[in-house]
Amino acid sequence: MPLSVSLSVEGDTTVIELEGELDAKTAPDFHQTIEKAAGHGTSTVEIRMAGVGYMASAGLRSLVFAQQKVGEHVTIKVVGAIEPVSRTIRTAGLDRSIVLSDD
Amino acid sequence: MDEAVKTARMSAELEVPATLGALGDIAALVLRLAGSAGLGKGASYRIRLAVDELATNIVMHGYRGGDGRITVRGRSGPGRVRISIEDRAPAFDPVQGRLPPEPHTAPERRRIGGLGIHLALTSVDEFDYVRRDGRNISTLTVMAEGTDPCPPRP
Repeated sequence: MPLSVSLSVEGDTTVIELEGELDAKTAPDFHQTIEKAAGHGTSTVEIRMAGVGYMASAGLRSLVFAQQKVGEHVTIKVVGAIEPVSRTIRTAGLDRSIVLSDD
Repeated sequence: MDEAVKTARMSAELEVPATLGALGDIAALVLRLAGSAGLGKGASYRIRLAVDELATNIVMHGYRGGDGRITVRGRSGPGRVRISIEDRAPAFDPVQGRLPPEPHTAPERRRIGGLGIHLALTSVDEFDYVRRDGRNISTLTVMAEGTDPCPPRP
């Protein structure tokens, strides 16, 4: 079950768009993109997840990795996640450090 | 037009190598069973997540990347799916290995290991583990929604 990952910069925001399924098999692709995003040095990294129909704990690990990689002064926003995905993020308590947004 | 979803009893068994590449086959089986039981989107997601997390744990930590097999057996009935996952890795009781999240710890110091098991256990309605004949056997049950999408654990 593939994951497509794209990366772009919009002003002072680095945008990562994910589509597909984020699990232990596909998370390494996301990690590679996070490494690239961290190099951009923008103040916000926005992860658009509306196209992610399924996320396992490997995705949580990716989000923690992202925060560690960009540093605490950079805001990580997760945008458009479907309810079960945002519930998984909240279950892990990551909504305290990562901004969860509907749009 | 909202008619009751037709449900069918179904049982299935799948044995796969313990690799991340096999997770998709396991998920497909689980979703088929969930569909035949008439589970809604939320309950289907929960049983898939729980089985996926346990299977991933067996691949990554049970067999530690070595050769091994995972057997998944499932049974569905109206509004209910029960799935057992078996492996021959060293004994591991998920309830003992569960690590609840640490929301107050800064992200850079947070450990994520064990969180998958926590997610699995909080996603199902019933969970049982036994070690029998050198095998770990976890049995998970999810029922159709209509209740709390994330049932509290005792």
